[in-house]
Amino acid sequence: MSRLLVPVGVFRSIVASNARAFPLISHRLQSTHAHRQPQSTPNYLESADGLMGDLTARKHRHARTVRQFDAQGNELDVYKDGPSAIDKAVHLFFFTEILRGMWIVLEQFFRPPYTISYPFEKGPLSPRFRGEHALRRYPSGEERCIGKSSCKNIGKLHQYPMLLQLANFARPSAQPRQSPSKARRVWTVREEPQNMADIDMTKCIYCGFCQEACPVDAIVETQNQEFSTENREELLYNKEKLLANGDRAEAEIAANLRSDHVYR
Amino acid sequence: MPSLQRYLRSIYRVGFRAFWRQLQYISDAKSGRLVGTDQFGNKYYENYNAEEEVPGRHRWVDFAQHHYHASQVPPEWHSWISHIRKDPPNEDASMVASRQPWQQPWTENLTGTRGAYKPYNTVAPKINAWEPKSAPRA
Repeated sequence: MSRLLVPVGVFRSIVASNARAFPLISHRLQSTHAHRQPQSTPNYLESADGLMGDLTARKHRHARTVRQFDAQGNELDVYKDGPSAIDKAVHLFFFTEILRGMWIVLEQFFRPPYTISYPFEKGPLSPRFRGEHALRRYPSGEERCIGKSSCKNIGKLHQYPMLLQLANFARPSAQPRQSPSKARRVWTVREEPQNMADIDMTKCIYCGFCQEACPVDAIVETQNQEFSTENREELLYNKEKLLANGDRAEAEIAANLRSDHVYR
Repeated sequence: MPSLQRYLRSIYRVGFRAFWRQLQYISDAKSGRLVGTDQFGNKYYENYNAEEEVPGRHRWVDFAQHHYHASQVPPEWHSWISHIRKDPPNEDASMVASRQPWQQPWTENLTGTRGAYKPYNTVAPKINAWEPKSAPRA
């Protein structure tokens, strides 16, 4: 306003003397009101009492006020039971929402902690949990694995690279094949035992297909998940390592298989 | 303040000496029933009172070794502390029945030590060195 002080003063004096000639300009310069609207067109956008008109409500559909009428056609106040404007202003200016949020944080501070402190307490596991692999033995101490290579084949079928090395399981004391018919009746026992059962644990995705494929429950996934190593090399398990895992954890494996056998 | 109450109650129950040990290892004051001790001397506790221990933290182990590790828990107790099995291994009938005489003793994860597993070949070599044998002359 100040930068236009001189010209406005000059114009105002000019226009004031010719107010009839320049009605719009004189209104603009002489008053501090809003722009004068043309008198001929009715104001649909704002009603006389300053509330929102119907056209504005139609224009802003999402902000439409809810209007209710009784049987006589009188408008009801839908906000009658709601908070007053002063109440809302008080909540706004005294940050009560923030204070309520901070109170919830303060309540949490005094609640007992439910963070599980891991090596001392452990989260629940399933008896079907699939962790480190193991090769089991029969109760007599004989190895269960018969070299059927089902675990290898199911791995190849699903193209899991981990199992590509898992070749040629065999019992060391595999009996030579008696007759073709007998061998076909049971599963094929390899004539030349090859004690090779290497699993690359870094590539295993712990899908459990190997233990599902095994007909004699030889290879299982134990519930042990704490077998992390310092070297990648230590995770390339051979058959002796797998058998040792089974020998150490047999009670847990067998008990979990027993508790779960009704669902298999 | 249920947390502070629980803390002070546990200190009162276990005594200051045990509380100091808990503070060094679990870093929380916990009190409960001693369920059993395994072959390594690890002690296993449980407290099923939900007012005292939050469900999920109701079973815990007090390791015997100072350099504790999760794999020092033998597999029988591992399935108890992981809530796989309800009963401790010496009271669990199927766990007792599953124990075999040829079972090997449990060792903790020996990675980083001399006892760490190193893979080796278990297959007979495909190429053998030639051992010259001369057939006896007639």
